[in-house]
Amino acid sequence: MTDQLGALTTIFTEFYYWVTVVLMFLIHVGFCMYEVGASRYKHHQHTLMKNTMLIPLVTVTWFLFGWWIYWAFPTGPGLAPSIMNESAALITDDSAFSAKWYVPNSDLMAVNLGDHISGVFWAAFLLFSWTAASIVSGAVIERITTFAFGILAIAIGSVFWTIDAAWGWHFDGWMLKILGYHDAYASGVIHAIAGGFALGVLAVLGPRIGKFSSSGEPRNIGPRNPWLVTVGLFLIYTGFWGFYAACNIPIFDLGPEYGMEGVTYFTATNIYVTPTTLSGITMNFLMSLSGGLLAGYVVSKGDPFWTYSSGLAGIICASAGNDLYHPIQSMIIGMIGVVVAYKMHYWVERKFKIDDAVGAVAVHGYAGFAGLIICGFVLNGYPSSGYSVGAMWDGSNYAAINPLGMFIGAIIMFFVLGMIPGYIIAKVLHGMGKLRIPREVELAGLDYEIMEAAKDDEKSVASASR
Amino acid sequence: MATVTNWIDHLSAEEVAGAIYPGVGSEGILVIIGFVLWIGWHVISAKQESEKLEKLARKRPGSNDWKSNVTDG
Repeated sequence: MTDQLGALTTIFTEFYYWVTVVLMFLIHVGFCMYEVGASRYKHHQHTLMKNTMLIPLVTVTWFLFGWWIYWAFPTGPGLAPSIMNESAALITDDSAFSAKWYVPNSDLMAVNLGDHISGVFWAAFLLFSWTAASIVSGAVIERITTFAFGILAIAIGSVFWTIDAAWGWHFDGWMLKILGYHDAYASGVIHAIAGGFALGVLAVLGPRIGKFSSSGEPRNIGPRNPWLVTVGLFLIYTGFWGFYAACNIPIFDLGPEYGMEGVTYFTATNIYVTPTTLSGITMNFLMSLSGGLLAGYVVSKGDPFWTYSSGLAGIICASAGNDLYHPIQSMIIGMIGVVVAYKMHYWVERKFKIDDAVGAVAVHGYAGFAGLIICGFVLNGYPSSGYSVGAMWDGSNYAAINPLGMFIGAIIMFFVLGMIPGYIIAKVLHGMGKLRIPREVELAGLDYEIMEAAKDDEKSVASASR
Repeated sequence: MATVTNWIDHLSAEEVAGAIYPGVGSEGILVIIGFVLWIGWHVISAKQESEKLEKLARKRPGSNDWKSNVTDG
């Protein structure tokens, strides 16, 4: 960096993403608190440990191959040609945004004086990966082995969500071109996929002992510490601010980017490099949160667990189009998402005997799925990218946002990349006898031995005279 | 091992080399070590967990026995 303005822009962008990463850490803190609050006393420590260990597992695998997948897979491969090299193969050439630069042995994947952005961008995406894995973590508490969860966390956090991000979140993604897919703040690429993945795992894992009576009636195993659940959800809201900011590019000159001769237009953009404002998305974030809370309070008749979760579901449902919606639209969409999530949760629970311990499939999966479909109607006709506009299915240009494309996109996120892989991997782990803890341990509590040892320590200290 | 031994020389070079971590050129070996550590962790921790779960399952504590182990804080 030799000129001051260029240096300032670069260092500002570097610092901007760094701040989002720190803020997003609160999402994970919140998920941990939430899960511990929702679990029963005899499982607390293992519940926390399971969610903690996804941090190193997803981070290491994200370094080794997850980040590479994001940059390599936008074309499918084989579905739509890249705008950078006009090839539909994996993007591993010498172009500027090639995956070639993000293999783990690249010198850009380290302290490098020539690159101030890759590391913080890598970290911002990594925090999204933790979130995807953490969503699954809550659904499966109190009966999954740490080993199985570790494998599933890597699968969703470093493989499947990364593929969907390459397809539907990358500026060069084939889903934008062929379907007109739009998902600015990840209703689908994080939430619907993680919710779907969790549902696939739950179908194999089965319910907690005692969740259903012999006649199949569901029993409520409510949160044991509602205060921890509350603080956890507030922390997730807080981290979500960072997530929204991290999904934006803070400053970008769109004139030369779009090939407009003589035009200079600096703006913030969403992840697709189309213009939005941090100011506007902040309003939408808060209005969709409010819509979710209002609807959740009414639909659950003031149940605190569902009301707080509904705030999150409201944001998740509106997130696909929160770069463009009017705040009142965001609020209404948030409300719709909550009603869908709440009703679907209890219907699926009764019908299929699915024990989603924290409502993760509902809040993230169903609300995210609904958000994508609603976005297709509300933003119908907007371009999915600024680079070019073309017809749906064509693939050589970018299709406009439309209801059918968004519906297909929702199916891809929830089922194709979420539920089906989750089901298959869980089946394999189950076949190996590694998925679920023994029945005796589930009844005794995963923390039984830790608690027994702590009691012995206490006795020996209490009986000591010096 | 040191990639930089004099910052003035490094930054005044005609083309400043970006990579400044120790052992530039050995990234491939580091990545192999990273993979081995990652897979090895799964193998070791899975074995530990299986042993722990089997031991507790053999003891067969009742579903309320944990209550007698609650400490006074």
